[in-house]
Amino acid sequence: MLKINELHVSVDDKKILKGINLEINAGEVHAIMGPNGSGKSTLSNVIAGRDGYEVTQGSVTFKGKDLLALAPEERAWEGIFLAFQYPVEIPGVNNTYLLKAGVNAKRKHHGQQELDAMDFMQLVKEKAKLVELDASFLSRGVNEGFSGGEKKRNEIFQMAVLEPQLALLDETDSGLDIDALRIVAQGVNQLRSAQRAIVMVTHYQRLLDYIKPDVVHVLVDGQILKTGDANLAMELEERGYDWVREEAAA
Amino acid sequence: MNQVNPLVEQVREQGRLTFNRLGIPTMRLEHWKYTDVKRAMAPFMDHLGDPPAEAAIDTTAIDALAMENLDAYRMVLIDGRLHQEASALPQGVRADSLATLLAEKPEQGIEPLTTREDAPLFNGFVALNAAHARDGVSICIADGVQLDKPLYILHISSGGAAHICHGIHIGSQSQATVIEHYTGSEDTAGFTNVVSQVRLLQGGSLTHIRLQQESSRQTHIGRVSVCQQRDSRYRSHSIALGAALSRVDLITSLAGTGAACELNGLYLTGGRQHADHHTVIEHRAPYCNSREMYRGVLDGRSRAVFNGRVVVHEGAVKTDSSQSNANLLLSARAEVDTKPELEIYNDDVKCAHGATIGQLDTNQLFYLKSRGLSEDEARQLLTFAFADEVLASIDIPTVRRHIEHAAFSKLPHGVDIEEILV
Ligand SMILES: Nc1ncnc2c1ncn2[C@@H]1O[C@H](COP(=O)(O)OP(=O)(O)O)[C@@H](O)[C@H]1O
Ligand SMILES: [Mg+2]
Repeated sequence: MLKINELHVSVDDKKILKGINLEINAGEVHAIMGPNGSGKSTLSNVIAGRDGYEVTQGSVTFKGKDLLALAPEERAWEGIFLAFQYPVEIPGVNNTYLLKAGVNAKRKHHGQQELDAMDFMQLVKEKAKLVELDASFLSRGVNEGFSGGEKKRNEIFQMAVLEPQLALLDETDSGLDIDALRIVAQGVNQLRSAQRAIVMVTHYQRLLDYIKPDVVHVLVDGQILKTGDANLAMELEERGYDWVREEAAA
Repeated sequence: MNQVNPLVEQVREQGRLTFNRLGIPTMRLEHWKYTDVKRAMAPFMDHLGDPPAEAAIDTTAIDALAMENLDAYRMVLIDGRLHQEASALPQGVRADSLATLLAEKPEQGIEPLTTREDAPLFNGFVALNAAHARDGVSICIADGVQLDKPLYILHISSGGAAHICHGIHIGSQSQATVIEHYTGSEDTAGFTNVVSQVRLLQGGSLTHIRLQQESSRQTHIGRVSVCQQRDSRYRSHSIALGAALSRVDLITSLAGTGAACELNGLYLTGGRQHADHHTVIEHRAPYCNSREMYRGVLDGRSRAVFNGRVVVHEGAVKTDSSQSNANLLLSARAEVDTKPELEIYNDDVKCAHGATIGQLDTNQLFYLKSRGLSEDEARQLLTFAFADEVLASIDIPTVRRHIEHAAFSKLPHGVDIEEILV
């Protein structure tokens, strides 16, 4: 589904990603772990299409299409979703209607009929339940006045409504208390399916106790130094990242 | 007006003399340095005081310009002359024609026409208004009245010069909403010069909505002057959408302990429009509270001016004041001059103020696009949302809808985006 080949990315002439190779298939759950500043958000942002990153080398394809040639909204229509590490507040823009516009833009792109208000509200209510998001949040401005945990839950709620094929969760676990973490994980687990791939970006093992990944990658200094199964995450939790660095250098 | 009362004649004469001395404000004056009214005023200079020609505007035309479905006590002024009076006003509420008052109760009638020359932002237009304002609405709410519906003053310009003077008196512990709506058919190129004098007695509360939606060739000069007694509340929504050149001065004096004001402003300009807002908030008494938020969206080669002065006088301890002015420039050729001014003469105060000029937030843009909105949709949505935040505090839904609709149709828009707003 997603193929990243020898990807190099710079910001303001500073090299951040230094040759990423990654393949993610439908139905898989991947975890990308690494210390702060290793380039995890950069990778997520480049996949989602944020401005300000210069791809100096390499390619990213999604379902065989050159992803880097698409605008962010086109990537969303193709089925890519990014749950932001720091979801931005957008006062004045209604949370629910934003999603309605998003859902319908995607449907239109695929030649499907747009959802009417009733069908859409039905969908929204269903999905809000999934992440135990109070109905009052639906009519508020996007993330406006939400607590850190509420913002993260809202991201998962949006993901549930938009039903992406590839979901990137950037540090969705950080800043969550244990109850919120459980709710978010439950939401994510319910979205696991054979048609969907999920990538969790995190630097803690915590989230992985709730969502078991099929593959774990260790991203250090802009490179994937090691790839393994769920056990690798445990090992990282116990031993930190330095040994991976040393092992790679050896 | 055949027999002119000497009291009235005195006010008129005073106005004429002062205007002859001051003339139309020039750009040499500190408070007019960004706003050149000379060219806009040129067509009117020879007949500034002429009575307007009788315009033929029928009910259909009036209804087309009015806010739709508004449940209110409606008055209509055409070219500064009261055309339709409010009917069925409840007890304790009066909305009289200024012309009638001047003829029948001149000592009361001249009150709103009288402005001292040392008042903040006094200028030649105020004197001109005193000299020539023939009509307007004199609203008087007795003590302890909660008005059930807004008083709605619809102004229609059909060209020519109209000098209008309103008086709004809110009695002790009374509550009212007054809407001044300035309109005209699209082909008119008139001049509106209006002064509104507001007085709030102890515990009185007024919501004052001022919507300027005149033709794109109109010149609009307005002044709102407010005096607030103890524990009174004044809330203003001043919206400028129309006119080629508009200038609105809003001065409020928090004269009694515990008084509060909230000034909301929005200007949307495009083409070669020019919109200027000057506000002065005078904190004269202790424990007063002022909140001010003005926002502007500028497109094309338009220009806007914001000047907001907050003065905290010596005895005004425990003052709590905040002021902000934010501007969004949609075009590289649009221009804004913004200047918040704070003068504080005691140190027991809490004041915050600031001004910003900017473009849309790139993080917000990316967020919206990542959810599937196109670049254009995302930009339009954020622009609308920015403007709409000022309108959110208007608590009469039909009024808010009307203004939103008028505002949105001015901004670039391709999709039906209104429903996405909160
Ligand atoms: N927009 C940016 N401008 C400059 N430096 C950036 C920018 N974004 C990221 N970086 C730098 O790139 C490196 C990787 O950052 P990031 O991808 O956010 O890491 P992570 O998500 O793993 O913590 C850091 O050194 C960070 O300071
Ligand atoms: Mg990060």
